Amino acid sequence: MTRLLAVLLVALALLPAPAALAEPYLAVQQGYQCNACHVNPTGGGLRNDFGTVFAENAMAMTPLPEGVPVWSGRLGDFLRLGGDLRASWSRSDVPGSPAQHATGVDQLRVYAAADVIPERLGVYVDESLAPGDARVQEAYARLSFPASGAYLKAGQFYLPFGWRLQDNTAFVREVSGISMTTPDSGIELGLVHGPWSAQLDVTNGAANAGTGAGHQLTAQAVRTLPGWRLGLAATHTDSPAGNRDVAGLFAGVRTGNVAWLGEADLVRDAGFPEGTRKLVALLGEADWRIVQGQNLKLTYEYYDPDRAVAQDQQTRWSLLYEVTPLPFVQLRAGFRRYRGIPQSDLENRRFAFLELHGFF
Amino acid sequence: MSYVSQLRTCRAAADLVLILVAGAALAGCAGSGAGLDAAGRPVAPGSGNGPLTADFASIQAHVFTPICTVCHAGAGAPQGLRLDAANSYALLVGVPSNEVPSLLRVKPGDPDNSYVVQKLEGHAAVGARMPFGGPYLDDATIAVIRQWITDGAARPAAADAPAPFAVAAVVPAPGDVVAEAPRQLVIEFTAALDQTRVDAGSLRLERLDASGAPAGVVPIRLATTTADARTLLAVPHEPLGAGRYRLVANGAPQTGLASLASERLGAGAELVISTFVVGELP
Repeated sequence: MTRLLAVLLVALALLPAPAALAEPYLAVQQGYQCNACHVNPTGGGLRNDFGTVFAENAMAMTPLPEGVPVWSGRLGDFLRLGGDLRASWSRSDVPGSPAQHATGVDQLRVYAAADVIPERLGVYVDESLAPGDARVQEAYARLSFPASGAYLKAGQFYLPFGWRLQDNTAFVREVSGISMTTPDSGIELGLVHGPWSAQLDVTNGAANAGTGAGHQLTAQAVRTLPGWRLGLAATHTDSPAGNRDVAGLFAGVRTGNVAWLGEADLVRDAGFPEGTRKLVALLGEADWRIVQGQNLKLTYEYYDPDRAVAQDQQTRWSLLYEVTPLPFVQLRAGFRRYRGIPQSDLENRRFAFLELHGFF
Repeated sequence: MSYVSQLRTCRAAADLVLILVAGAALAGCAGSGAGLDAAGRPVAPGSGNGPLTADFASIQAHVFTPICTVCHAGAGAPQGLRLDAANSYALLVGVPSNEVPSLLRVKPGDPDNSYVVQKLEGHAAVGARMPFGGPYLDDATIAVIRQWITDGAARPAAADAPAPFAVAAVVPAPGDVVAEAPRQLVIEFTAALDQTRVDAGSLRLERLDASGAPAGVVPIRLATTTADARTLLAVPHEPLGAGRYRLVANGAPQTGLASLASERLGAGAELVISTFVVGELP
């Protein structure tokens, strides 16, 4: 174990810059694929050895004092654990309504991964403990073929589509219907080979829950190179409510200390009472690494809920400051400004929040 | 200040300027809302929007349509719960929640045990408070929804107008191939059923052989779901195996569905409501 950590620390020291929360901008800054830091090849959730050491040593403003024992994530040779806590205070200002404050736990997750046959067969669980009662978000087995980089995943998991943003309320995540709030059940055939990553999923379709009918097909291909990443994703949902097709193009590039992310999602949805609607959602994000452990995030989002209806577009601006004073602890402060049609107060609200984020 | 420090400061300033310029270039794209209602849909002739009251039409207009359908609409609606005006009542009232199947989404007369209320108030057993990410409904709005449920969760008055009796929707739909055996078949009609005339013989679920001929009858239990019984659940006594199935409305005069079949096909006839496949056929 000590030798493994030493190797990882040496590798870490050779990295060009710090990284690493479960935020895609960090991967763009580093030129990494998702599986560089995460157990899951499509990112998010439990960190692997490299990701854990990275979080301990390279992302905080100040390291832990010498001699302080740190979490490695490993329990023995075959089991790995992790977790994530987000608690926040927020204020919503909707024109014409009193300001609304909310305080509470937004997310408490625990992760576990067992290497049943190291590098061959693994079992992964992502359990949500709050809000609400305990609930399994992800639970799957993954059969890997190291020589080719291929893997087969079966069970319940998040679908791969676009940027795996932490903010599940982003327009691109809500409109695509695929986020870390919508796990789905089925199988995923994946490949991580050189700069390429690709997945093909056959699942029930999260929106088909309870109907016993329908299915969803999802495909994604991503090319990652130092300094930039380009991805293409598509999904088709066969649903009793009507079929739904989503196509997404997403890209990231690094210029100096800024990581730029963009995504465009086009939706064709036949599940509306009047028939088919075409929807568009766009995301533009800039992450400026001020110094190690401090990030300033600016996002612009655009949403057209129906291409056939004029003047119904919405936008959202977000400005966030993220500071990681110590390993495993992050503080976030943000402001979001929604703009929409003037007759909708809700589409013209303001939202501010402070968040404590702990992870291990 | 050293040359390196100056260089870093200049580079940081350049980064910031680049971000701001890019942001400014994208600003100001929200719609003007001309010709639209508060939900962003074209204004319908004669449509109004009075104060929120404890009736379904008002709750739909003030809550479900402008707030909930941001996510809960279309074929990608979370949990399959579409809250647009055409679907919300049928998918809410008397329908078991997917997240906590022991609870109805709306249980007429019992707001405390209505899952939608628990989600709106933030104490549901599963998942986040709704609307997801906030802002949440204020106490007064939730109280109106509670009152509507306490009063029996009645349909909007306009929808009570007489309509031709027909099947509005069925799950699994005709031609569906479902990988997982449905625990129940859901049939929604355009008008209320006469519950006193709905019995075990009203619907029949047949298992078909490879040629499409009936090869047996699957025992089912029928149950109404909504307050005025427009929706019927057909629950197989045992899980359905792989194969082809046909759901048939019995047109015999003594059943509640007699008019449906007889209007279409003549008195005493039968009407095929859905033919579907479970699993993959050989």
